[in-house]
Amino acid sequence: MTRAALYATLHLAIGVAVLSGTAAADSLWARKDSSSRDLLKADDAFRLIAAEREGKDLRVSWEIAPGYYLYRKRIKVQVLAPAAAKLDAPVLPKGELVADAEQGGKVEIYHGSLQAELHWSGNSPPQRLRVSYQGCAEAGVCYPPQTKLIDVIDLSHQAP
Amino acid sequence: MRSITLIVVAALIAAAAGYFFYRHEHGAQAVGGEPLPAGLQLSSLDGHPQAFEQWRGKLLLVNFWATWCTPCLHEIPDLVKLQKQYAARGLQIVGPAVDDPDAVRGMQGPLGFNYPILTATPDAMIDIMEKLGNGPGGLPFSVLVSPEGLILKRQLGEFPAGQLNPLIEAHLPH
Repeated sequence: MTRAALYATLHLAIGVAVLSGTAAADSLWARKDSSSRDLLKADDAFRLIAAEREGKDLRVSWEIAPGYYLYRKRIKVQVLAPAAAKLDAPVLPKGELVADAEQGGKVEIYHGSLQAELHWSGNSPPQRLRVSYQGCAEAGVCYPPQTKLIDVIDLSHQAP
Repeated sequence: MRSITLIVVAALIAAAAGYFFYRHEHGAQAVGGEPLPAGLQLSSLDGHPQAFEQWRGKLLLVNFWATWCTPCLHEIPDLVKLQKQYAARGLQIVGPAVDDPDAVRGMQGPLGFNYPILTATPDAMIDIMEKLGNGPGGLPFSVLVSPEGLILKRQLGEFPAGQLNPLIEAHLPH
């Protein structure tokens, strides 16, 4: 065997070693890393933007990150202050109907921007709300129900 | 002489690389995982403390779930089958529920659990999941722990089809 052939053999073996090591490391990484895929935390996946009131119009808005969705039936809003203010159930836009056998058939979900309209009654308008919502990532991971306390921004007296 | 040495070195390098690759691809028993955090404890649904230490010596699969979590509900029947299939060989599955205990009780019958369901306050459950490596806080979240108490695998989301059986087979104590 010539010296060139010997060195070629040695280089081939080192190449096999490097490739095998890389493949094994990739495999190991995939196993260890299944818990820290690039998933957002709930607050970043479902951003509660604001609760705003203009006269009798009150709305709460969210920005849902791409690849995530909120369940319509898990959105709830309650008045915390003033105690005398009353809220009807939120009026939500028509969502996307998706099959969900585990939750009893079809469920309605939202992607992207979402606004809930709220009808209130009483002498004083709602000033502070408790907002609950729950959603999932399309990647097959769901987040615990989120509950946020949020002050209502009064836009009634702002210049157009 | 020098040629023979080079050939032997080349063969040894290739053999070592192949062996290393094989071990990782076939779920080697010798695992250098980090230990399960000490003192982990949750409660049974009837309020009795349940320390994780009691399952030392078994292959422990901790599967965090909730009744509002569709992928969790989809995965649980497979876990029930695994518990039945591998119980005699030392598999113990436990299911901490990140949920209201009453909602969990309502699903116990329909889901047919044959392994313990655990509970805690929402904050405590989130804290434990973080300690176990679930940064995003989503479900389902599973942790496979060796009989020696070492974390073998973390999985956020359902286990991919066909992955869990060989993983369990590779690490069963009996």
